[in-house]
Amino acid sequence: MAGVRTPREKWTNRTAIAAVFLALIIMLTPIYWITATAFKPRNLATTIPPTVFFTPEVSPFVKLFTKRSQLREQPTQEEYESAPWWEKMVVDGGEKVVRNRKTGEVRSSGYSDRFKNSLIVSIISTVVAVCMGTLTAYGFSRFKVKGEDDWMFFILSTRMLPPVVVAIPMFLMYRVVGLNDTHLGLIILYTAFNLSFAVWIMKGFIDEIPKEYEEAALVDGYTRMQAFFKVVLPEALTGMAATAVFCFITAWNEYAFALIMTNRNAQTAPPYIPSQVGSGLPDWTVIAAGTLLFLIPVAIFTFLLRNHLLRGMSFGAIRK
Amino acid sequence: MAQIEMKNVQKFFGQNQVLKDLHLTIENGEFVVMLGQSGGGKTTALRAIAGLETVTSGKILIDGKEVQDRKAADRDIAFVFQSFSLYPHMTVRENIAFPLRAVRMDAAERNRAVNETAETLQIAQHLDRKPSALSGGDMQRVAIGRALVRRPQALLMDEPLGVLDSKLREQMRAELKRLHIARGSTSVYVTHDQIEAMSLADRMVILHDGVLQQVGAPDEIYLKPSNLFVAKFVGSPVMNVVDVQIDGTRVALKGVETDFSFGEGMLAGLSKPGAGIALGLRPEAILLSHEKTKGYSEAVTTNIEPLGSHDIVDVRLGEAILRVRTASGFVGGEGQTVWVGLDTAQAHFFDNQTELNLRGAA
Repeated sequence: MAGVRTPREKWTNRTAIAAVFLALIIMLTPIYWITATAFKPRNLATTIPPTVFFTPEVSPFVKLFTKRSQLREQPTQEEYESAPWWEKMVVDGGEKVVRNRKTGEVRSSGYSDRFKNSLIVSIISTVVAVCMGTLTAYGFSRFKVKGEDDWMFFILSTRMLPPVVVAIPMFLMYRVVGLNDTHLGLIILYTAFNLSFAVWIMKGFIDEIPKEYEEAALVDGYTRMQAFFKVVLPEALTGMAATAVFCFITAWNEYAFALIMTNRNAQTAPPYIPSQVGSGLPDWTVIAAGTLLFLIPVAIFTFLLRNHLLRGMSFGAIRK
Repeated sequence: MAQIEMKNVQKFFGQNQVLKDLHLTIENGEFVVMLGQSGGGKTTALRAIAGLETVTSGKILIDGKEVQDRKAADRDIAFVFQSFSLYPHMTVRENIAFPLRAVRMDAAERNRAVNETAETLQIAQHLDRKPSALSGGDMQRVAIGRALVRRPQALLMDEPLGVLDSKLREQMRAELKRLHIARGSTSVYVTHDQIEAMSLADRMVILHDGVLQQVGAPDEIYLKPSNLFVAKFVGSPVMNVVDVQIDGTRVALKGVETDFSFGEGMLAGLSKPGAGIALGLRPEAILLSHEKTKGYSEAVTTNIEPLGSHDIVDVRLGEAILRVRTASGFVGGEGQTVWVGLDTAQAHFFDNQTELNLRGAA
């Protein structure tokens, strides 16, 4: 009976909720840790036991975006007073902001460029992988392809090798053709890596779109290409969105290839952030700030596509 | 509107031949129903006409022009799918307008055509809704509307009522017939439901294992089935078929003492020794009597299905069980003795080996 629960069911239900909460707390702890560290003064970041109560400050973010050097001598009172608020923070932390000698402009750290590179490479490779994957999946789904199962297995097999294994040979090949440390090089790599995944996921989605949709369009005077764009694509959008989220996350978080293939021009954020550990004394607050910002795009992207991730909106107009 | 012809059409799926040398002419304005079991090739034949399936060999002509190598889009036909296949992301209006967009009809004219079609099919009030918000019957009306709006040369329907419940199916059947009479479009309709077929068809086409069994008007098919398959497939309950011996004007059933006698000349040329002859009797061709009657044989009732308007009574006659149609309540119960006679004019004789009707087809 709906709504009526025996005491036993009540307890099962409470236990389940408790378990979910526990899991949630365990999973959110690292996020909390990063967030807290990103707003801590440097001297509180590595205390034992950890500092829980502190006055949050934004100096880690200021430091994240500026190039700094150790303060050798204290600035004069006058210099300190005339500096903008964020520069004072850096000085308070025992460092000074590096300026261009001629123009006096503040020199920025590499972070924003790396962040931009991450966006460029991830977005383009995701779009290309999902588009190519959808077309490939459509072909496999709708036409008789000789040895279809073997081809599909072959496509999947490109994911079976850990990418690190091919990283060195890829690096050598890329150097020969001049693709190392370029956006295009990383985009090709990530697209290739995500394509097999996109094909497999999209094949599942397209298989579920009834063939009759296109056949109806074909009979009604459309070419197959038109039928694909007008009828299949709108139906496949849900699947494409889900696939895009997964491809984007993979590309966005990719570390090994980015570390090996890029160093300055096209370096993405994942290899850049930890590289700051090694420059001088590690400032964990800056690293936490960089990591926190790095988490945001994936969260936004997934949030925007959340409706598409829930299946089932397109079903119901076909009777079986 | 146009005539559709199929000449020597063969279709293989790999090694499997699904259409065997099909010859068929569908006249202009005719409503033809293809009837057969699933896997009999009827849907394949329809899809071949539509251009959704290529034929292995043979010719398909629409309006006298060979179209077997043309794309579906260039054949100017419309197709209604069993699944309706309405586009869920479009409204009803957009669904119906979809074929008109392909030919780039201007907006005003398109709107007029959509409204007119919607009026005819009584779905005007649903035009701005999504298909998923419609009932099964209305979905089907939209699917038919999408097919008719372009005024195609021919309308092809693949079990369009197959997924509807029986009451709605009956109603839609009547609507389809009305629509066909009003529009007079050449229509080819595939179904496995013989009632649907008989009620809609000008002519029926019976397909079995990819082979054309018989083409004819519904009453011809029913009254003069060309072979055992057609005889057993059409009609409900199924035609009774029993092995018989023929001697002169007498027909003997195994285990029955009295022979059935036929009129002079009715059995001419049928006494075929060896191969064996089967007698086919529809449930209404068997007569029952409570009293001993001349020419009737004694039998025992074994089962009664009261159906309201009539009863179906199973009787054991010799070694055979015959299903007989009687007036309601004619037989009181199982185990009664009755006397069985034949309406000899409605008897069919089949060659057991070739399965052909020995009197020839209609």
